[in-house]
Amino acid sequence: MDIDLFEQLQKEGTISAASAEKVRTITASRLFSVHWELKTILYLGVLLLSGGLGILIYKNIDTIGHQVILLAIALACGGCFYYSFRHKLPFSRTKVPAPNSFFDYILLLGCLLLVTFITYLQVQYNVFGTRYGAATFIPMLVLFFSAYYFDHLGILSMAITNLAAWMGVTVTPLQLLTNNDFSSYTLIYTGLVLGALLIITALLSHRLQFKAHFSFTYSNFGTHVFLIANLAGMFAAYDGPYGLWFLLLVVATIFFYSQAMKQHSFYFVLIITLYAYIGLSFIVVRLLMNAGSEGGIYAGLLYFIMSGIGAILLLINVNKKLKTA
Amino acid sequence: MIAYNSQSLDNLYIQEQIEMAKGADCITAEEYNAVITAHPVDLYTPNPYMRIGIFILTVVILMFSFGFFCLLSMSGGEGAFTFLCFLFGGGSYGLAEYMVREKRHYKSGADAALIWGAGIFLLSALGIATNGDAPVWVWSFVALLLSVFFVMRFADVSMSVVAHLSFLGLIFSGCEKLGAIAKLVVPFAVMLASAGIYFLSVKLIAVHTYRHYKKCLQMLQVCALITLYLAGNYFVVREVGNEMFRLDLQPGQDIPGGWFFWILTVTLPLIYIYTGIRKKDRILICTGLFLIAGIVYTIRYYHSVAPLEVAMTLGGLMMVGVAYALIRYLKTPRHGFTEASSDEKHAMESLQIESLVIAQTMSHAATPRPDQFELGGGSGGGGGASGDY
Repeated sequence: MDIDLFEQLQKEGTISAASAEKVRTITASRLFSVHWELKTILYLGVLLLSGGLGILIYKNIDTIGHQVILLAIALACGGCFYYSFRHKLPFSRTKVPAPNSFFDYILLLGCLLLVTFITYLQVQYNVFGTRYGAATFIPMLVLFFSAYYFDHLGILSMAITNLAAWMGVTVTPLQLLTNNDFSSYTLIYTGLVLGALLIITALLSHRLQFKAHFSFTYSNFGTHVFLIANLAGMFAAYDGPYGLWFLLLVVATIFFYSQAMKQHSFYFVLIITLYAYIGLSFIVVRLLMNAGSEGGIYAGLLYFIMSGIGAILLLINVNKKLKTA
Repeated sequence: MIAYNSQSLDNLYIQEQIEMAKGADCITAEEYNAVITAHPVDLYTPNPYMRIGIFILTVVILMFSFGFFCLLSMSGGEGAFTFLCFLFGGGSYGLAEYMVREKRHYKSGADAALIWGAGIFLLSALGIATNGDAPVWVWSFVALLLSVFFVMRFADVSMSVVAHLSFLGLIFSGCEKLGAIAKLVVPFAVMLASAGIYFLSVKLIAVHTYRHYKKCLQMLQVCALITLYLAGNYFVVREVGNEMFRLDLQPGQDIPGGWFFWILTVTLPLIYIYTGIRKKDRILICTGLFLIAGIVYTIRYYHSVAPLEVAMTLGGLMMVGVAYALIRYLKTPRHGFTEASSDEKHAMESLQIESLVIAQTMSHAATPRPDQFELGGGSGGGGGASGDY
């Protein structure tokens, strides 16, 4: 805090000498925190280590060193979980803080190595059989269990991407739009089901007060997946019943919007508004193209200008509402 | 010079500080209320997410209005198009001024979109008017003028990055005119300019008159430190020199004075980190840590010390080890450093960015696609992670 400023305020008489003194002592004894710097180093270390070991197994698959590497991975994985079990705080239905910042990443490394190990066993020896997509199902179970047992949001996010992969959708944040073939209806319906499932889980976590702080992660993935699948359905039905998909979008938007207002979440209001805006613009452009005249182009451009202004006014209004609430 | 009311910005700063003091339980609720009423802020600043939305929508409006007027003036040819660009550039700037002065917008998203729009439209007008063949120094000079003006007027952080880069562009194109000696001068000129900017912004940040530009000056420090390193980096000097001045170097062939650039490549980030720790300067520490990736990349590019996966494994082990040792060491704070997180709210926590980054980068590392290694394991499966180093 700015000591000069508080001294100024004290001279003006708005704060007492005792308060200014408190500010002075706190600022003087203030420590320089390298918390996030250390966490970033840990994160990069775990990323490199798990990636490097993952490549090492597959590169040396036909050599003798292979077994050594497998053993090393198993030992490292065991070590990580031993550390995690020893240092973890007792399980609780509410949020359990990590005992230290090292714990989170050691647990993460353990999970990554375990998944690497299971996947290797599955692919090489087919240990778990080939039914029900076991190759992704077993890691998913491991990840969900670890996420809940040790209370780890990062592992929960990985578990959700794994669940999606098991159902056949890519939900890794940056690949969500590029890696999926949105013209296939199977994928669109899977996306809708997955999104709805995640949102229901989010609501249940909140309602049952069982790891309620996980609900943001669930509804974050769920909202994006559901709305993207919905928009994709609308685009895919270009010559078909896009009106029905739009109706679904309207219903979903109203539901998500009421949820977002309940949670006072600026973030959800923003993404829902943007998705709904894309959907509405699609319908308007589609209808104008039906008209097919030159005036339609002008009307379309005017629509975007006016609707843009309208959407900004809406955001400003919601901002005011959420701030005062 | 600044478009905002200086008193409002000062009051905003006071409110932020008093908010912190309240969070740390230093002041009573009455004192808090007294300070807030004595220093009212009349600026309009929406929530950061709303700001993103307003930015995107303003860009949409700008683009479609431009498209609308383009359609209307289609028969006018190139001259009309240039005029339209000028008009939109001037109009965007005028609107930004109006928003800031009349509507009291401060970091609302609309201001940034309009400033960027103004810059891009004016530069496009220049490009069309000169048929796109204006020399580099003209481009850099105009961009520098515009961005410095926008920084002074609106204290916009992103524009300070543009200003720094266009300043370096101006120096670069100036050196090019020197002819044969240019390839020797360029790295040193850019390094000198970056160092100059860095020390200047360190000086200015302490001056009371420039208090509203604090974030711009911090951003300038980061940019200057990075460009200082890049200008002395062996890889950049060798490859850019090879490309720009047609040195026609063969693989394995050294550049004149190569050892000097190797020393800079390896020592500069370490110097940043060391000085940062001595001075408790977060900008120096973080930039230094980030540039360690530059050391690793440069060395690996020319000397393959170990296969990638071995290097990754060993490097990862080392980093986890270093972090573990430091966390143990700093458990009880030493020399004013601590490993505990500070009281100030960190942006990483509010959106759970950490968990998203983990999901993004690590889900692939763990599950290699089966088809890749049934072929006998020629290609690595953990490709998700290899992009970093």
